[in-house]
Amino acid sequence: MKLLALYNRVNIITTIIVMIITGILYYMAISWILNGQNDKALRVEEDEVFDYVKLNHQLPQVFDSKDQQISFTEVAPNSVTRKFINTKYHNGKSGYEAGRGLISSVTVNGKYYKILIVESKVETEDLIQIIFSITVGVVLFLLLILQIANRLILNRLWQPFYSILKELKLFNITDNLEITQTATKIEEFNELNKVAITMAAKAKHDYKDLKAFTENASHELLTPIAVINSKLDTLIQTENFSEKQSKLLTDLYSAVSRLSRLNQSLLLLVKIENRLLPEEQNVNLHELITELLQQLEDIFQDKRLTITSILEDKQIVANRYLIEILLSNLIINAVRHNYEGGDIIINLTQSSLTIKNTGNITPLPGTKIFTRFHKSSGSDGSGLGLTISKQICENFNFALSYQFLSPHHTFVITF
Amino acid sequence: MKILIIEDEEGLRESIAEYFTEAGNICETAASYSMALTKVELYRYDCILLDITLPGGGDGISILKKLKENNYTDGVLIISAKNSLDDRLQGLDLGADDYLVKPFHLSELKARVSAIIRRKMYNGSNLLLFNELSIDLQAKTVKVHDTSVKFTRKEFDLLIYFIANKGKVVSKNAIAEHLWGDGIDIADNFDFIYSHIKNIRKKLVEAGGNDYIEAAYGMGYKFTGK
Repeated sequence: MKLLALYNRVNIITTIIVMIITGILYYMAISWILNGQNDKALRVEEDEVFDYVKLNHQLPQVFDSKDQQISFTEVAPNSVTRKFINTKYHNGKSGYEAGRGLISSVTVNGKYYKILIVESKVETEDLIQIIFSITVGVVLFLLLILQIANRLILNRLWQPFYSILKELKLFNITDNLEITQTATKIEEFNELNKVAITMAAKAKHDYKDLKAFTENASHELLTPIAVINSKLDTLIQTENFSEKQSKLLTDLYSAVSRLSRLNQSLLLLVKIENRLLPEEQNVNLHELITELLQQLEDIFQDKRLTITSILEDKQIVANRYLIEILLSNLIINAVRHNYEGGDIIINLTQSSLTIKNTGNITPLPGTKIFTRFHKSSGSDGSGLGLTISKQICENFNFALSYQFLSPHHTFVITF
Repeated sequence: MKILIIEDEEGLRESIAEYFTEAGNICETAASYSMALTKVELYRYDCILLDITLPGGGDGISILKKLKENNYTDGVLIISAKNSLDDRLQGLDLGADDYLVKPFHLSELKARVSAIIRRKMYNGSNLLLFNELSIDLQAKTVKVHDTSVKFTRKEFDLLIYFIANKGKVVSKNAIAEHLWGDGIDIADNFDFIYSHIKNIRKKLVEAGGNDYIEAAYGMGYKFTGK
């Protein structure tokens, strides 16, 4: 719920409750005053009756005036208590309307009479109604004005907040955009903005430092690795090795080659994260996969793997170099974790690329496999292949997911 | 062949020089920008191996620019620790013939340099002759004593690679990286290399050629230029 909506809700409910209470009090006060006036008129009438009886020793003529009726009824002595009542007033034409009455008594010539004076309250009611309507009208008008004013003012007041929020949403630790200062006079928002800017700058700075370190470290490693590599190449030219020596040299070669691949992977990761490979072009996936499969044909044959590929024609806009790495990582994984005589199924459609392979029958831990240096036991890869693949996919807004659908390990890239 | 190696890292410079030094080759080296500049201004080379990052006031790219300004036709192969596409494209745009990223195998470097020199020296001729072998690099065909022999693409690549490195032991790692690219990490098994080599030897011998390739202590293979 938006702050504005919540504020409005509270505001409206309070206003309505206060207004209702005020309305009721107001109504009661007016009713009380007007009733008092009615009662006064009734008392005047009663006095007139008493005066008349005192003077003439007989009951006055009963006549209907426009809004007053008097009736006399002979009753048992002292059976009437004087009181004001709310009653009905009968007017000649249209029946009954609300009325106010006074019951009293008088003794004329030894006879005891009950007097009933009824006065129409219709005008009073009309008055109350008009007053009430005006009150309700004012309340509604007030609510409307409040609502509009709140909306306008609050929207404007909160504008800086929303623009800060937007900046924060767009904030990406890997890009170069800074959070900008939002112009506002409101101190709280100014402070929020300042804190956001400082925090973002610090996060970026730390991240940059870390990246620079990784990049520099990997970079500095390249030269010594290159030297070791070239010295090994030179060493094996010196002839006459015993079997033991050549075994040692072979091991050295593979260790150096792993080291160099690991280093390249780290550098590549930094590059992808830095978005240093921006050249994007149309990449024909069908063509690329076919080429790759051809290139790896002897490796498939060596492991007696059955390759099934159903490839639709699909083009994407991406960096060709990165897509090559992505595809070869996934396909090489499908080979490496396969068993002799297993199969690999590659399916390219307009919306996704699926690579399935047989292998170990236990599912891989779905989220861990994409983290750095996670390796299945016995794997001699760098542990960065899937991390790189995931990064590449994220770079181009593709989704890379893993599923185990027995007996196949399934990797899906959704474009 | 006259080759200039511009590389500031001593260990690497020496190894390259040693690998390239053989009968008929002259190798010169330069360890800094100023030394390199002096040499390329005074002498012409068949191929210059150019490191991008150099001490002494300039980088490899400015040496390359200097060469092109003077219309020198020396072949240039950039060796760089920066595997950045920008560098690569800039280098190739400026007229470098090839680009190799550190770390690399000396045999790979030799194969690339040979290709550059071949292109320069034979001016578009695509025929590589070696004893009884006649290899058409454009059409990718091989003849042994005028008999056509059919090679697969990888076998063909491998044969050219071996000829460029004749007399040298080439490690299995170097062969694997050459054939499948260094991004492809399949180091656990080199059996498929063995079968490619077996095929090459068989095809050459069956067509009446010499058996040039011999295994070297289980570490690699050697193309003997007898």
